[in-house]
Amino acid sequence: MTDPSNLDAAAYIALARAEIEADAERLRRQDPELARRERELERAWVDVAPPGAAGEQRELLLDRAERLSMIDVDAPIGSRPGVRHVKGAIRKGTYWYLRYVTDQMNALTNVLVRLLRRLDDRLTEVEGTFGLGDADALIDPPAQPSRAVSQAIATVVNEGPAVVLSCGEGSVVAALQDRGLSVVGVDRDPLRILEGVKSGLDLRVGDPRRHLGDLAEHSIRTLVLVGFVEDLAPAAAWNLVMEARTAVSAGGVVVVVASDPAEREPVERDLRQGRGLAPVTWAHLLERAGAETQQLEVNDPRYRTVVSGRFG
Amino acid sequence: MLIHHYTATLSPRDAVGVHTLALDALLNELGHETQLFAASIHPELRGRARDFQDQDRVGTPDLLLYQASTGSPVADHLLRRPEPLVLNYHNLTPADHFDPWEAHVGAELDAGRRQLARLARRAGHGVADSRYNAEELAALGMERLWVAPVLFDPPPLPAQRVTRDPPTLLFVGRLAPNKAQQDLISMMALLRERRPGARLILVGTASSARYETALRTLADTVCPDGVEFVGSVDQASLIEWYGRADAFVCLSEHEGFCVPVIEAMAAGVPVIAFDAAAVPETVGGAGIVLDDKRPAVVVGAIERVLDDAELREQMMIAGQERARSFGPEAARRQHRDAFEAILGDVA
Repeated sequence: MTDPSNLDAAAYIALARAEIEADAERLRRQDPELARRERELERAWVDVAPPGAAGEQRELLLDRAERLSMIDVDAPIGSRPGVRHVKGAIRKGTYWYLRYVTDQMNALTNVLVRLLRRLDDRLTEVEGTFGLGDADALIDPPAQPSRAVSQAIATVVNEGPAVVLSCGEGSVVAALQDRGLSVVGVDRDPLRILEGVKSGLDLRVGDPRRHLGDLAEHSIRTLVLVGFVEDLAPAAAWNLVMEARTAVSAGGVVVVVASDPAEREPVERDLRQGRGLAPVTWAHLLERAGAETQQLEVNDPRYRTVVSGRFG
Repeated sequence: MLIHHYTATLSPRDAVGVHTLALDALLNELGHETQLFAASIHPELRGRARDFQDQDRVGTPDLLLYQASTGSPVADHLLRRPEPLVLNYHNLTPADHFDPWEAHVGAELDAGRRQLARLARRAGHGVADSRYNAEELAALGMERLWVAPVLFDPPPLPAQRVTRDPPTLLFVGRLAPNKAQQDLISMMALLRERRPGARLILVGTASSARYETALRTLADTVCPDGVEFVGSVDQASLIEWYGRADAFVCLSEHEGFCVPVIEAMAAGVPVIAFDAAAVPETVGGAGIVLDDKRPAVVVGAIERVLDDAELREQMMIAGQERARSFGPEAARRQHRDAFEAILGDVA
């Protein structure tokens, strides 16, 4: 736990938050039972909420669809004395017909849900075959940019506010902060950012793509993309460049730190989810989006070229 | 200056209602004559406001002021009036939170958003109770904007606050889908596995009977006896609940400001909240704002706050400072500055 003696209240609370998220992540990785229990609780809500009110999780939606696919007809078929036999016959006839129709509907919807489940199974299989599932667990995440990369970035970036996506432990954030820039780092992994938070950097847990999407138009001067750009497919990379162009103001800079897929070790080449793009390709995309680009040679074992694009 | 002051619903215990009455009093103090109008008036406030359709019988004002927080025929009425209009914006919940539960409420909110776009084009000045809300008005093209928080009286700090075991957690707010009380109940189920006897107090009336029923069913299923639905309470009982709470937990997915966060801070209750809409802005670093509200994370935060006396102390200090910045005097000063500038422009 943190020693509060050197921190003001806000910094202490921010650090506690980072530690809480890191602890929960650590616990979830160590204890699969916890994730199962969370899922159970989520399912309990899905059971009582109307369709569409409890998120969009595929498996839960399929369960829900399966239950809703069954229509139960319980028509009253009894009758009072008097014209009992006539009314009873009409009601039984109506009931028989309703049952006939609903049986058909049930059969149809049931088949549709079964097909959806088959499709889901096939998708899971395809994801497994092409490494879209947990293949990342088999290799380490891309190495953090070295000091040389951070310094190279600092030479082309001189204006904040800046955002570093997939900031990891925060080396790039620290370099930009040292230059006096207002800078925020975002990373998906609370364990990775913890050390940076402890040293006073403004690092936050979050999905980098979502964070970028949430930024107001032209609200930042500098955007640095690291880590998650390593395995993007061409279409996703182009979308990212367009989103980046929207986020930075006129004269703003987008920096891409990505390794060259052709230079990766065989194990990584085989197991990394996507191939990713070479720095020269990133430069090409930035130019297509209207940026003036620059490629900086860097003395880093992985990231040999850093690409920057300035939008007019 | 004669100001006709409008709101959709004037209610004594609702944040917008309390704000409307306080702002009205402030405008009177500034030397302006005001007349309140509403489409729906709570019985306790019958003498304080008139039906908005009576305006034509009251005379011509110099200025119209509208408290925008939902879709309402009041907005359509104002759009037909020629006088200068000021918009006091408290945010509209996105309709998709309500659509699966109460489609008519969703439709009303959608209508409210369309009305807001027209009002923003028509109004010369806007006052928003958070930067988040101001950004929405700016996106609709409004330029003359001020940010001034909701006017309300925060509860007093209890004489002595002790953490009890088992702990009591509190959330204050309508039972509404955007406030995601189901996430509080799920979190509670996990917390009670570690701390049997812990309880969650949900203060607030239901805005959707269907949603309330689902919440109660969920609570009975996953967390029997762990959740208490206390409904609407008066100010004295509310203060009492803040006094008894060991932590205030807000997992809302949409809030335009969230007054209870500040009330909790004023009462010395540590605040744990989910990072959504204007909530992080209101918390302002004085509480724990989580990016992830899965039960294990929220339970981790609660346990840390309960077990770490130093953190609790720091949160209490920071929270009270934060609450002071939204206190009646500070908020009144910001409104006074905003309205002096606006009324100067209009005159």
